[in-house]
Amino acid sequence: MQFGYPENREAASAARVRALEALLIEKGVITGATVDKVLGYFETDMTPLNGAKIVARAWTDPEFAERLVKDTPAAVAELDLPIGMDGAEGEHLQAVANTRGVHNLVICTLCSCFPWPVLGLPPYWYKDPTFRARAAREPRVVLKEIGLDLDPSVELRVWDSSGHSRWFVVPQRPAGTDGMSEEELAALVTTESMIGIAEVPAPAA
Amino acid sequence: MKLQHHLGGLENLDTIDYEPRVFVEDWEQRIFGIHVAMMGLSDHLGDSGPRYPIDGVPTAFSSTWTWADLRKGAEAMHPFAYFQYRYYEKWLGGISGFFVSEGYISEEELEAKAAEYLQDPALPLPEGGDGRIDDQVIRYLREGDSPRQGPAESPAFDIGDRVTVKDVPPNDHTRLPGNLRGRTGTVERVCEGNYGYFCSTGPDGIGKPMPVYIVRFEPTDIWGELAEPGAVLYGEMYQAYLNPATEEQQ
Repeated sequence: MQFGYPENREAASAARVRALEALLIEKGVITGATVDKVLGYFETDMTPLNGAKIVARAWTDPEFAERLVKDTPAAVAELDLPIGMDGAEGEHLQAVANTRGVHNLVICTLCSCFPWPVLGLPPYWYKDPTFRARAAREPRVVLKEIGLDLDPSVELRVWDSSGHSRWFVVPQRPAGTDGMSEEELAALVTTESMIGIAEVPAPAA
Repeated sequence: MKLQHHLGGLENLDTIDYEPRVFVEDWEQRIFGIHVAMMGLSDHLGDSGPRYPIDGVPTAFSSTWTWADLRKGAEAMHPFAYFQYRYYEKWLGGISGFFVSEGYISEEELEAKAAEYLQDPALPLPEGGDGRIDDQVIRYLREGDSPRQGPAESPAFDIGDRVTVKDVPPNDHTRLPGNLRGRTGTVERVCEGNYGYFCSTGPDGIGKPMPVYIVRFEPTDIWGELAEPGAVLYGEMYQAYLNPATEEQQ
């Protein structure tokens, strides 16, 4: 849909947010370093690499994979990940695992709930009202539109994040990865696969 | 009734705008950072899970600011504007409006300062401030703000029970997806413990600690003939939103 916007839309927003930050610093609400420190936390500590490491462990350790689905916070705590996996937006992590016959998709129709510590911050498409509205009713059509054509025999489970749980998907291990190390496997795992809009592609031969 | 409470299943929308970036303009990062700082400095944190020593943090911020406040702002928008503006544009509007309405800043000084930065975007930000403010914000990120409050009271429903979602009165804020109102599903899991919410939603019914359930819905029970075959929909439902299914809803 086309709406009208002012010509200096982005410049005006950029100036307004900078003015707001400046005033908040001047008035002692935050410091001159607060916003940079928050952003740094998400650049260094809370990134999708954490989720990828969790998935790679689940692929190589079936008992861990079971524990991960049963008691996600406890299983995540077993791994050597940054402090704060049960911090903001990770207080109640919940993993759901794809199998040959089941594919999971995480959505949030009311806002944009997302498991920050394991996946970092949500991509724009996830927050977009069009995706949120359509994925609830026609998830297969939506997945196909963005590149995942699920076999009709696969049950598609859609998890709407309306409460405290923060869901993430353990995708299936791709073919052609026998003998790969946990580190090599983790490098294959994408954010999209852990939200459920993609599968993990097999490594390039 | 608010469109924002009934997005799930809305028809006649466009193709998905597949934008994989988290931020599409540099300025969006700054409003995200301000929002996180507000959550980490919110005065309610003294009573939340980790019992943050929030009274001792030397910030001028003395308000409650949680996800509920940000969401309420988005839910208060004109429904067309909700679609018109990008995600972080809505945040900027809601958050700057909050600081003005709470009296931390005036609209006049915000506009005057914004005009300066519009004229010269390279003008630096002020520096300095008490590092204990930043320490608290990072501590909040690491330790979070769980809504779980024990001890578990006996839940009204058990795994396998058929439940019908209430059609609670429309309100300024809800955690009940509109597409599930009045629908009947099956309890798949009873979450351990009880869960509060950041605020009371009044007649909507959540706020105080209560059991929460993962409920499985069959899409045909929600969308009828429009349902896609081979899918199931799960919602996480506060007990206040549920009734036992009547005999004919079983």
